[in-house]
Amino acid sequence: MRRLTSIDEFYGLQGRLKDDRSEGIPTLIITAGTCGQASGANDLIRAAKREMLNRNLSDKINLRITGCHGFCELEPSILIEPHDTFYPKLSPKDVPRIIDALLSDEVVEDLLWKAPESGEPVQKQQDIPFFQEQVRTILSGSEKVDPIRIYNYILSGGYASLAKVLEIGKPEHVIEEIKTSGLRGRGGAGFPTGVKWELLAARKNSSKKYLICNADEGDPGAYMDRSVLEGNPHSIIEGMLIGAYATGATNGVVYVRGEYPLAIKHLVIALRQAKELGVLGDKVLETDFSFDIEIVKGAGAFVCGEETALIHSVEGKMGEPRQRPPFPIERGLWGCPTAINNVETLSNIAHIIRLGAAEYAKIGVPGNSGTKIFSLVGKVKNTGLVEVPMGITIGEVVYDIGGGAIGNESIKAVQTGGPSGGCIPASMFDLPIDYDSLAKAGSIMGSGGMIVVDGKTCMVDLAKYYMNFLKDESCGKCYTCRKGTQRMYEILEDITMGNGTLEHIDLLEELAHVVADTTMCGLGQTASNPVLSTLKYFRDEYIEHIIEKKCRAGVCKDLVGAPCQSACPIGTEAWRYVAHISRGEYEDAYRAIREENPFPSVCARVCDHVCESKCRLGQSGDDPVAIRALKRFVADNVDPAIYNPFRAKDKKDEKIAVVGAGPGGLTAAHYLSLKGYSVTVFESDAKPGGMLHSCIPAYRLPSEVLDKEIDSLLDENITLVCNKSLGTDFTVNQLLDNDGYKAVFIAVGAQKGRKLQLENEDADGVLPSIEFLKAFNQEGKQLAKGHVGVVGGGNSAVDAARNALRQDGVDKVTILYRRTRGEMPAFEEEIEAAIQEGIDIKLLTTPVKVNVQDGRLTSLECVQNKVGKMDDSGRRRPVEIPNSNFTIDLDTLIVAISEQPDVNSISPDAEGGLEITKWNTIQVDENTLSSNRSGVFAGGDVVTGPNTVIAAIAAGKRVANMIDRYILGEELRQVEKPRLPNKYIEPCSVTEEEMSALERIDLPRVPVNRRSKSFIEVERAMSEADAEHEALRCLRCDLEFTKKMPVEINIQQPEASVTAGIQND
Amino acid sequence: MINLTINGLDVSVENGSTVLEAAKFLGFPIPTLCDMEGLTPYGACRLCVVEIGEGTRTKLVTSCTYKAEEGLFVRTASRRVVRARKMILELLLASSPQSKIIQDLASEHHVQQQRFRQEHEDCILCGLCVRMCKEQMVAGAIGFRGRGQERSIGTPFDMKSEECRLCGGCIYVCPACTLRCTFTEPDKAICGGCANLAPPCVEKDPFEDMMCYMSPCVACEIKKD
Repeated sequence: MRRLTSIDEFYGLQGRLKDDRSEGIPTLIITAGTCGQASGANDLIRAAKREMLNRNLSDKINLRITGCHGFCELEPSILIEPHDTFYPKLSPKDVPRIIDALLSDEVVEDLLWKAPESGEPVQKQQDIPFFQEQVRTILSGSEKVDPIRIYNYILSGGYASLAKVLEIGKPEHVIEEIKTSGLRGRGGAGFPTGVKWELLAARKNSSKKYLICNADEGDPGAYMDRSVLEGNPHSIIEGMLIGAYATGATNGVVYVRGEYPLAIKHLVIALRQAKELGVLGDKVLETDFSFDIEIVKGAGAFVCGEETALIHSVEGKMGEPRQRPPFPIERGLWGCPTAINNVETLSNIAHIIRLGAAEYAKIGVPGNSGTKIFSLVGKVKNTGLVEVPMGITIGEVVYDIGGGAIGNESIKAVQTGGPSGGCIPASMFDLPIDYDSLAKAGSIMGSGGMIVVDGKTCMVDLAKYYMNFLKDESCGKCYTCRKGTQRMYEILEDITMGNGTLEHIDLLEELAHVVADTTMCGLGQTASNPVLSTLKYFRDEYIEHIIEKKCRAGVCKDLVGAPCQSACPIGTEAWRYVAHISRGEYEDAYRAIREENPFPSVCARVCDHVCESKCRLGQSGDDPVAIRALKRFVADNVDPAIYNPFRAKDKKDEKIAVVGAGPGGLTAAHYLSLKGYSVTVFESDAKPGGMLHSCIPAYRLPSEVLDKEIDSLLDENITLVCNKSLGTDFTVNQLLDNDGYKAVFIAVGAQKGRKLQLENEDADGVLPSIEFLKAFNQEGKQLAKGHVGVVGGGNSAVDAARNALRQDGVDKVTILYRRTRGEMPAFEEEIEAAIQEGIDIKLLTTPVKVNVQDGRLTSLECVQNKVGKMDDSGRRRPVEIPNSNFTIDLDTLIVAISEQPDVNSISPDAEGGLEITKWNTIQVDENTLSSNRSGVFAGGDVVTGPNTVIAAIAAGKRVANMIDRYILGEELRQVEKPRLPNKYIEPCSVTEEEMSALERIDLPRVPVNRRSKSFIEVERAMSEADAEHEALRCLRCDLEFTKKMPVEINIQQPEASVTAGIQND
Repeated sequence: MINLTINGLDVSVENGSTVLEAAKFLGFPIPTLCDMEGLTPYGACRLCVVEIGEGTRTKLVTSCTYKAEEGLFVRTASRRVVRARKMILELLLASSPQSKIIQDLASEHHVQQQRFRQEHEDCILCGLCVRMCKEQMVAGAIGFRGRGQERSIGTPFDMKSEECRLCGGCIYVCPACTLRCTFTEPDKAICGGCANLAPPCVEKDPFEDMMCYMSPCVACEIKKD
């Protein structure tokens, strides 16, 4: 490489390189940053080189090995220039096919990236949603440049900005440009770079001045600096050179983490090449400007990212910060004036000079110009490096670029800024990303880590994680930082272990404020952010950990115990009955179920089994244990009489009224009766059972099963009064004041169907689903005929559809849902069964007009939707396609879009002022379920809106406890104890092979031809062999708590044999 | 001379003096643990924080390391300062309850209990000994090692130092290890003489002639174990 001796020579070189470029030759770009190499990029390179050598293609194809392009999840990948064709997740055997296609200018369709929703292949990188929404000014540099070839960088416009600056010859001009551009430090604090440089330039009376590049990137989950250093090291060098020219800095230092070997390697090569070419070192391009850069490798202390600690570290001292002032600008490295800039800041400099400051300032928003790279990681579909203009909202980054949540979870928050940052809840995702907005929300921009957390992340545990990191990474100089982080960690640990108290929260908050107030450097001042921001936005989770001893995410082991048990709203020991079934102890299994659940047979049929969704077997990639099916096996095969609940010996005098004989009301009545109270249950229908009876179709829950179960619960303490409705036949006031009831539990459910809000909705043939189902279940009326349309996607829609299909005179049933299949709230197995039975599901369809003739429904006009951007719930919003209207001829239309409680019966006036929410539900304390009126409790659908059976049972159980406490005069809200597995059940021995051979067995179903027109129960119980097989699949999470772990096996050879060996020699 | 305002009083102090020196010279008490005349200010214990600035843009800084500036507005006992000091003392009590100096400071600031897990460390890593050894004894035998929770004071690799002359300077300056409340041997115990609090363990044998300032009393807590 010949040294350039003037600026003109540089331009000459640039021109020659451009002329040399063999136009039209396609380029194969292989991404081989650390992420790419880790996922096998080196094998791709080898395969590509071999292929090119063997087939003599070196003048037909260019090969370029670059750093990471950002979509780390899809590595190793190949990008083809000039068409921008993108092939993700390749293996070496794909390379020859790609080269063949490249030579004939074709595309290998099956290797392209496919849109997850439609499965359509997308050819161009820029058309992939992940890339589409980004503005990649810095990251795109990594695509064009082979980091170890300086000519490559010059060809893509590199060092031209330096030449331009040298040509103009005015350092103040550079500073003015940077100031005008509005560039702020990308390291996190956001100090204007131009101002910093101006301050350094103003230090005239020092012979030496330093410019330091801070590449000590230590935030967990953040790696944008590494990517830039690996992929485009010359851009940093150029940025530093321009900075040095502007500020008069004489020496440069790149302080880079020792853990970034590839970045260091590329940087070393780049520095050597830049020196050889004469753009770095003494007399740059033979001008008067000299500047040299050395690399200092950090030893991995997080605190060394703080500027004064960094300076200490470069000087060879212990990496601990010192008091500012004096600022490094006054007294920095070796006592000389020093400016410290972040990697990303420096990589922006050449762009600003090239584009011009005014043009650059147009990117982003005023006050926060330019782009920012984020490392988007965590529970989001697309992870990787994302470069977006400042001012874009968090929602756009998470949902549009990140693709939203993985699986069925919904996104809860993002954690920005690493350990010093905070959490921003999903409700605030329309917050623009800029330094000031994030700071106002209690977080920081930081270096750009963005960790997405979903429902499976516990916020207390998250805070604990960061505090654990910080207590180890605090330098330890400030007492409050060292001890404060340790103490905060201890308190968080106490809370996650179930030893927390409410005072702990106050102490935590107090301590967090003091730590932020009294520490010296940025680490300590921001160390409280994870705690304070989670306390601010997720305080309810802290309180839940402390009072209810529950971790809703299922993370905190000492509160969760077995995930299946913790997930169950009533805390059923699923692990226990599964274990008993595997051992053939079916009666014990029944007892385990019945102890917690008064409706085993009902729940065995209609429960939404959250236990299965939290099952650790399912979480670890396998199918979860079929817990509901096992419950069904036990409920069908064991005589309920074997279980005798524990009854209080003495009968109590107090009378209690339960309004509504649904699952919630009956559960409360049962448990209150066991405690010795006399309970009167009022029911507006002719039979008890509520929704179980009136709405759940008989093919899912046969009425004789339900009746038997209800009968077994009614005992001498319970009086059932049917055909009496709240509001018309009696009022709460009457019950309490006149009839002598001490407490009232309102569990009347949600009985009023919501309307479509369309014209002609009350025409003949249009029915709310709840009326339709009730008419059939209670009176045997078959209201559906001809072609039946069902609007909605929930369980009640599917129930109505399948019920309609079974009625006489129905030809066809069509479900109309406005979103996609994956977003239908109904149980997956119900939807599947409906499709099997021949029910048509029209997705992305919204009804807009009900057509009638002579007051009777004739047809329904609908519009077709397409999926749009994600809304706040993280679901893709259905967007109407203009002029896509179409009409479906219908004879019956069932509206099943949701239900509400009928508040007329519980209206505030009639009921002595029960508070009603804006959703027409009764307002209660979430924990105690007590309403604003003392002695009146409410639970189930009337509080939550339409909900599951098990949620109603849980409310009933809770209210029974609360009423007992209320009558005994105890505090309603009490600290619960964590419910951990506490019974040891000897596990059956299964070998690893047997275990992996076991596959989930689901309940057998009656064949479609025999069931689609009949009301026989669709699901059958499983055989004993199947049940044992299924139960054996359980991982037995309970054993961790019930039996001490076996003593660690000593893997060392016994000493005797060693000595024996020596003797033999 | 530099003119500044301390607690509303316009004062002038010598060039180069710290806020702590200025305040002490004027008679405003500021508690310190890691500060000592003749040694470089270090700013480890954070007890000497004062609030500087006016209006809403105020912040806490350690007065021992902060140089007096022209026109600086200092408050040595604002609500924010007191809150911070009390919490720091509570943290100190939680970790080094046996230090007589810390006990006295705590009782002076009406800190009567600590709410954290009780620890029994002696060293508060104030670094007085390190600075004493290096700056006054010109030895540099001991220094800080590790970071975060692992930080400690000692010789490199715990090897006997050839620099150490066993002068005892490090022990002499230590605010935490000397004058330790020896509750485990009541006859050797030093009574703090802090009579402004009801000592919780007065009646308890064999601690009847002792006074301590904390509830729960460390001595009693230890006795229980």
